[in-house]
This record gives sequence, structure tokens and C-alpha cells, in this order.
Amino acid sequence: MHPFLNRLSVAFFLLIALACSPDKRQPTGEERVWQDGLGREVRLPQQPRRVMAFASSMTEMLFAVCDTANIVGRTPQCDYPAGVYSKPIVNNYPVDYEQVLALKPDLVFTVEGITPLDVAARLEELGIPVYYQKYRSVEDIFKGIEDIGRIMGREQQANHLADSLRKQVKAIEQRYNQQAQKQRVLTITWSDPIYVYGQNTILTDQLRILGAENAVQEVFDQPYPALTREYVLKLNPDVLLGGSPERLEKEFFSLYPELRKIAAYHNKRIYAPTGNLIERPGPRVVESIVELEGFLYP
Amino acid sequence: MSRALYFVVALLLILATLVLGLQVGSFEADLATVANAFLNYDPDNTTHYAIVHLRLPRLLLALVVGASLAFCGYLMQAMVNNGLADPYLLGTASGASLGAVVVFFGFVEMTVAGIYMPPVFALMGAFVVTLVVVMLGYRKRQLIPAQLLLAGIAISSLVTAIVGLLTFLSDSEGKLKSVIFWSMGSFERASWSLLPYPTTALLIALFLFAFLQKQLNILLLGADRAQALGVQVVQTRWAILATVSIVTGFAVATSGPIGFVGLIIPHVTRGLLGTTGRSNLLFCAFVGGFFMLLCDLLSRLLYPPAGLPIGIITSFFGVPFFVYLLSRKNYKFSS
Repeated sequence: MHPFLNRLSVAFFLLIALACSPDKRQPTGEERVWQDGLGREVRLPQQPRRVMAFASSMTEMLFAVCDTANIVGRTPQCDYPAGVYSKPIVNNYPVDYEQVLALKPDLVFTVEGITPLDVAARLEELGIPVYYQKYRSVEDIFKGIEDIGRIMGREQQANHLADSLRKQVKAIEQRYNQQAQKQRVLTITWSDPIYVYGQNTILTDQLRILGAENAVQEVFDQPYPALTREYVLKLNPDVLLGGSPERLEKEFFSLYPELRKIAAYHNKRIYAPTGNLIERPGPRVVESIVELEGFLYP
Repeated sequence: MSRALYFVVALLLILATLVLGLQVGSFEADLATVANAFLNYDPDNTTHYAIVHLRLPRLLLALVVGASLAFCGYLMQAMVNNGLADPYLLGTASGASLGAVVVFFGFVEMTVAGIYMPPVFALMGAFVVTLVVVMLGYRKRQLIPAQLLLAGIAISSLVTAIVGLLTFLSDSEGKLKSVIFWSMGSFERASWSLLPYPTTALLIALFLFAFLQKQLNILLLGADRAQALGVQVVQTRWAILATVSIVTGFAVATSGPIGFVGLIIPHVTRGLLGTTGRSNLLFCAFVGGFFMLLCDLLSRLLYPPAGLPIGIITSFFGVPFFVYLLSRKNYKFSS
């Protein structure tokens, strides 16, 4: 073989070998291994200095726990607290990988169900670890806050916040734990088709804290199952959440006039929770519980 | 089996599925409860209410929509003399989807003067797109089936792309769910107030074509031979076109674009009754109605309570039967 061709082929194979070899950066003394909410190992070479979240609720958590200078971006849906507006927007669905790379985060936080695992794998290939959290109860949110505190070296701040929120929840729970008759609450997220908050949502726990219960007792695979009119008629909820009476009259009951038979409609127990409160498992969860309290015990 | 016997069997199957369907739902109801709901209706009994006001209109809508799509599929296949034709060939489904999506994505108020807008806009979308397709398929004062077919495919693709673009740009997961649910078809919106529209359109069309069945059969021989045999080809084609757009438009607007029924049921009809049966059209409507009723029942039994989208069921259960039919040696599209 011609010497030049020989050298070229060696260089080519070297390049291929380099591209295929795993990243063998030597761990520094600071490297830490965390186990995220999905049981995945997340290796961080050092304490993260540049972070962002792919879920609005987690952005709120980061703002509540971290030094805001450490937060490098936000998703288009992030609208709280006001400080988020000073951060650059990163598309999270579909993920704008180039924009993420440009912001050079050391770690991306996200929530189970928001970011697919293949997206996380792709980001990790690009050298950006992804940390998932998942919540089944209000307490899980507080643990999530403490988790972020540990990862970001802000334990004191995070633990203080979590403890304060726990105290508030406990006080509310004590007010209603003797409720003899539990109000059955149906919360709709969309009218056509009818999608509702199922058992596997934080809302179920929020209602329990308030001495009420989710009218949907059956456990579905999806956290927000689709229901038929007949199913809703059978549930016959005492309280309906999902929009103001005027809005639901126009967009829900005019579409399903048969559902005017439910108790919530008869007793005018229809309320509109604030969207970005009820939907987000974040540090404002107590605010959301207080808002629900106002609806359940007017 | 004689023709009359086929009709009796189809009718009995429809009745049996209706009775069975009335017993399936969130409220437990056996045959006695169903009978009681009709014979001794108590408005305060929610089970009675669900049977009479939710289940029955839903089942009847499935019956009417299935019959409409199968009937229109038969007409379209006869008009373009091609077994691949279906009622959506004129762009009805894509036009209706565009109309519904325009409302779902907030370009129009969801409810205007107490009327839920998606079906209204779906109907308008279906008519507008059909009109464009017909204009493109019309040359030298007559409809050219091949041109109509191509125009239908092209315009449908364009409209589907617009729907895709709007869906991609959607800012809400809920809106996406509405569009996805709508595009796969559902009878969940059925009510006594909605039912008269598709039913009236179908009944008028069935009555009209009771007199045109002979011309349709001759049309299957090809336009030139039909002309030579005295069929007024141009007029018959216009009658088919108007009927298909109106009947399919109402079916799609009320239930979403449900696929395969309009394609396969006409073949099933010809497979059972022969290519040029005298009452093929009516039988086709019966079989389409029964098939849709059965699919709706299966969808609710397989995935309670919401039921699987009906379009998925029609494809799953319809296509294997269709393949079997095509593989039968003695089946021919036209004589």
C-alpha cells in the first residue's frame, strides 16, 4: 500500500475508534453519583453551576432553591416567578438540542412523563446529564425540593422551604381530617373528549389533605384518563373543577347537556382553579391547596 | 341464500347488536333494566336516563354513520368504476378535519349562540373542499372520473398538510388530544338533537337511489357502454356527487372521519349479493350500519369506559375480512 494511503487509513481507524470509545474522563475528587426519581444513576463531575429544567414546575423549584444566576434557561411554558422572563427560552418539545448545547448546562432537571427517556439519552450523549423526579403525593414534591438542594449545595435553603411547606400542609390537614362526609371532586382538564384528573395525580393527595376525595376512584393507566358522559353521570360529583360556571356552561354543558343532571351542576358547585397552580407540582403546591380549600369550603 | 334471507339476517343482526349495545356502559343494566327503561321510563332514574339519552342515540348514530359511509362508498366505486374508491375521495374527510381543527385551535369560538362549532365547521370544510375537488375534476361540461380522483388525492394531501401544520404549531396538549380523538372518529357526542341531521340526509339519499340502482349497475360496465345502453351518465354522476358530498359531510361532521367502512362494505355487499344485485345499495347500507354498531360495541367492551377510537376498530376488524374477500377466487369488482 502507498505510504500516504497507509497513514490515511491508520488515521481513519483512529478517528473511528475515538468516536466509538466511551467518554473516559477521569473522575475528579468532586464527582458525585446521584440516583434520580426513576432509579437512574446520574454522574456529575462537580457540583452543577449551570442548570435548567424542562418542566415549568421544576423551573419554579429551581428559582425557589438555587441562586438564580445558576439557572441558564427556561421552557416556553415557564411563566413563574417573574425572574424567569430574564432567562433565554429553550424549546423542550421537540428539544432544541443546539440551544441546550449553546447554554452549556451542567445538569438538566425534568419530571417523569415530560421528557422521554430517549431525549435524556441523547442529551447525555452530548455530555449533559438529565435528572428526573417523579411525584405521587404532596410529600414527594417536598422531597424533590430537598433533593435539588442537596444536588445544588443549597441544603439549608431547600430544607427550610420544604419544612415550612410541610408545616402549612399539616395545619390544613388537621382542620379537615375529621370530615364525616367527604366531598367528591371531579376535575376536568379538557372537554372534548372529556379528560379528567385521575387517581394517579397529585390532586388526589391535595383533596385528601382537604378532607375530600377525587370522584374518580378507579385507577386508570393514564394519570389523566378520558371518560364518557355516562361515566361522569355515574360519578355524580359534588364539586366540578375545570372552569368558571359561565365557561363550562358554554364549553362543557352545552356540548353534554345530559350532564346537567350531576349534583355539582344542581348545587352550583363549579369552580375555576388557576391553571398554572393546580397543574404544577412545585413549591406553590400549598397555594394550590389553599385555593382548593376556598372552593370546597366557601 | 336468497336475497330476502340476507336482508332478514342483516336486520336481525342489527337488532341483536342494538339490544346488546344498550346493556353496555358504566351503569349496570341487564335486559330487564333495558326493557324497563323504555316501557316504564323514570326520568329520575339515572340508569334509565343513560340508556335512553346516551346509549340509544349513540348506537343509532353509529348505525346511521356506518350505513351512510358504506352507501356512499358504493356510489363512489360505481361512479369512478374503481374498487379503490371510498366516500372520502372527494376530500370530504380532510376538509372536515380542517374545519374542526380551525375551531379546536381557537380560530373560531368553540360555541356560538349555544351551538357547538366543530361539527358545523367540519361540515363547511367538507363542502368547500369537495367543491374545489369537483371544480378541478370538471372539464368540457362534464365530470372526468380519473381527473376527479387525482384532484381528490392532491387536494386532500394539501389540506392534510395544513391540518398537520396547525397541529404542529399547537400550543396546548388538550387541543392536540381533541384533534387526535376527532380524527379517529367517535360517537360520544351523539344526542337526540344531533341524530336527525345525518339520518335525514341518508334517508333522502336511499329513497332517491332506490330509483337509480339500475343505472348504477349499468355504470359499472363503463361510461361508454352505459351511455350506449341509454343511461344518462352525466346526470347520474352529478346525482352521485351531490349525494355523496352531503351524506358523507353529515356523517363526518357528527362522528369524525372513520376509515375503511366506505371502502370495504361495498365489496362485502358485492361479494354476498353479486355485482349487479337489484337491492345492493340498500343492503350495503344495512351491512355498513351493522358493522359500525359492532365496532362501537367492541370498542367499548375492549377499552372501558372511554372506548377505543372507532377508526382503529374498523381497520382492525374490517381489513382481515376484506383481505379474505379479495382472496376468494370468485369475487370480481364488476361483471
